[in-house]
Amino acid sequence: MNNNIIHCMKEDYIEYLRDESRTIGRAESISFPKNEEEIIGIVKDMYSKEIPITIQGARTGLAAGAVPRKGHVLNLSKLNNILGMRVDSEDNYYVTLQPGTILSQFKEKIKLRKFDTTKWDFKSKRVFNDFCKKEEMFFSPDPTETSATIGGMVSCNASGARSYMYGPTRKYIEKLKLVLSNGDTLTVERGKNFANGRKLELKTDEGMNIEFKLPKYFMPNSKNASGYFVEDNMDAVDLFIGADGTLGIITEIEVRLLKLPEIIWGVSCFFENESAAIKFVEEIRSNQKDIASIEFFDKNALDILKKQKEINPGFERLPDVDEKMKSVIYLEIHTEEEKEALIDLKKIAKIMNDSQGSSKNTWVAKNDVGLNRLIFFRHAVPESVNMLIDERKKENSKITKLGTDMSVPDEHLEKVIKMYKKDIIKEKLESATWGHIGDNHLHVNILPRDNKDYDKGLNLYEKWAKKVTELGGAVSAEHGVGKLKSKYLKVMYGQNHIDEMIDIKSKLDPKLLLSPGNLFEVGKRSE
Amino acid sequence: MKIVVCVKQVPSTNEVRLDPETNTIIRDGKQSVINPFDTYALEEAIRIKEKIQGEVIALSMGIPAAEKILRDAVSVGADSGMLLSDRSFAGADTLATAYTLSLGVKKISEVDLILCGKMAVDGDTAQIGPELAENLKIPHITNVSEIIEINDSEIICRTITETGKRLVKTKTPVLLTVLKDINMPRLPSIDGVINSLDAPVAVENAESLGANKSYIGLSGSPTQVVKTYIPERKNESIEIKGDSETKSEKINSVIKEVI
Repeated sequence: MNNNIIHCMKEDYIEYLRDESRTIGRAESISFPKNEEEIIGIVKDMYSKEIPITIQGARTGLAAGAVPRKGHVLNLSKLNNILGMRVDSEDNYYVTLQPGTILSQFKEKIKLRKFDTTKWDFKSKRVFNDFCKKEEMFFSPDPTETSATIGGMVSCNASGARSYMYGPTRKYIEKLKLVLSNGDTLTVERGKNFANGRKLELKTDEGMNIEFKLPKYFMPNSKNASGYFVEDNMDAVDLFIGADGTLGIITEIEVRLLKLPEIIWGVSCFFENESAAIKFVEEIRSNQKDIASIEFFDKNALDILKKQKEINPGFERLPDVDEKMKSVIYLEIHTEEEKEALIDLKKIAKIMNDSQGSSKNTWVAKNDVGLNRLIFFRHAVPESVNMLIDERKKENSKITKLGTDMSVPDEHLEKVIKMYKKDIIKEKLESATWGHIGDNHLHVNILPRDNKDYDKGLNLYEKWAKKVTELGGAVSAEHGVGKLKSKYLKVMYGQNHIDEMIDIKSKLDPKLLLSPGNLFEVGKRSE
Repeated sequence: MKIVVCVKQVPSTNEVRLDPETNTIIRDGKQSVINPFDTYALEEAIRIKEKIQGEVIALSMGIPAAEKILRDAVSVGADSGMLLSDRSFAGADTLATAYTLSLGVKKISEVDLILCGKMAVDGDTAQIGPELAENLKIPHITNVSEIIEINDSEIICRTITETGKRLVKTKTPVLLTVLKDINMPRLPSIDGVINSLDAPVAVENAESLGANKSYIGLSGSPTQVVKTYIPERKNESIEIKGDSETKSEKINSVIKEVI
């Protein structure tokens, strides 16, 4: 029945063997289902033949979660309709959408209030009419890569700069509908089904009960997207957010919107030394309200950007940064009134001047035009580093960027940054560091020049994973574990807890067919 | 050198939201910005000031809320602002606007250089600069992409014309309209923003400017806007098949249909 839907893996589909992590996999077949019924058909077919399935969205992930190892590729990019809208008694608006919905397009639709409502039910249409008259709203998770799909964001519990204030994707997911590996469906809704301690019971839409014990580990006390979300009496929906496609195929998502703040201002603060920048961050974090994001860029990142600007016309319009400046801290102020924002600005100026900086060395963006310039600057940094690595990759195909995604609790920020710097200098590696310093979550990017550098980088990565775990942090804070970080997840939790995760998987996916290689290696149990 | 920069308040071009019932553009305060072309004029004025010293005054005709963009101009380096605001200025076309602005420039007095953006993004006429210069009886140079040399009495600049580039040398006072190529406007610093809150912004009305009532607002505007509407846009794709002759005939007929 599925011959028209399932295609043999041929040259035309070669792009679907890779993702943004630049890892290349292999597969025998691929499909682009357009509705849940097609997914169920494909899944049942694969289940009977015991063919593994790798789930894909827009393939923008950085941990190779969407890169297949073998079997079938289930690409959900055509499952991209927005299905309806509801409002609760507290005037919160919720949108139901399919997993292939692209983040940037979704954001645009919310902003312009332009949804195709022709197929919506009467109730949704009525809510939409009210929504159009309301103050502006937004979906707060903001990963840098806005061409990500919402399904992908749920699967890795994506974050972004603004999660400093608003939290990760998880917080805004109300309901999920999934297809399990045998073709049954499961609906999980926030507030409806909780674990009893560490025991969870689920009931499929077909009426089958699935019971299992949750792993015994405690999650880190820092921003986290590493392995299954587990805590006492947890909400069932949380287990499926950040599960990297290992438990089911998400076919429907309900997200919660927030009211967009009246005032959104960006401030880039430049520092002549890095320790002053870190001190500034700590002060801002303790004393300053209305801050939605605190981002960081080091001197190496600025230098790479500067070089790209000289050769790449796309970056020509980027503002110049004074050579003396060693670090940039980007702050975003979200508040309801301009006068509050001005008070915030004055306080930021004082904190900066007290932290060996100067409030003269700042860029303030008070409207969309300015804000877009600062955002472009922020996004141009990883872009320019990727361009540099792509150039090197042409010479040596083994080379790839080694980007960390680790977070630590607040008190260890300075310690961990010093460790990164010291190790990089000791190993004589090239690097560029940026990221979400407000959450103690920096992306340290090792930029190998040759195979030796690459191996040294891998060793450092493992060392840091151990150290970050010791400090009570997470090996992946927002990109998810995927395939590339599964060994670090083992460092973080140990094989016993990994086995507990595999136990959950085998309850929901008994033939272990979904997303093999993501989070853990199922064949490598400790017993 | 005394430099006046003309700035206009326009809706932010990044987002235009329509009221679903009335189909009109929803304009709220937070979407108002300095016309992007004017930000290049402003930046150039500040660079000139930094190079040869002088005073930069931002000038705008508009509603009282336009004071905000004048403070924005001060936040990046202008010394002061002047807002020409009066109910009787409403409905002005380019002729009446240029006349009114010329009164502002005369009020400022002893101006050596006037810088304008090439045009406003909401009107697209590119007429204000040249009309203002004519009102003031001073020369003007449009589409300036670079100021090569400048001192208190003379300017050498490069302009982009339809056929190429041109070097122009002129004596001050002069009015220039500038292109986006001329520079990269800076963003204000926190100090700039805070200082702009107390910066002097003079507000002048028809009476204080000594305006001739028949030259301002609607009565001074020979252009009458009959209707404004959003042009209907159709995004359609057609697949054209067949041999080259059939294809070219079909393409030809599609183009004819459009124009």
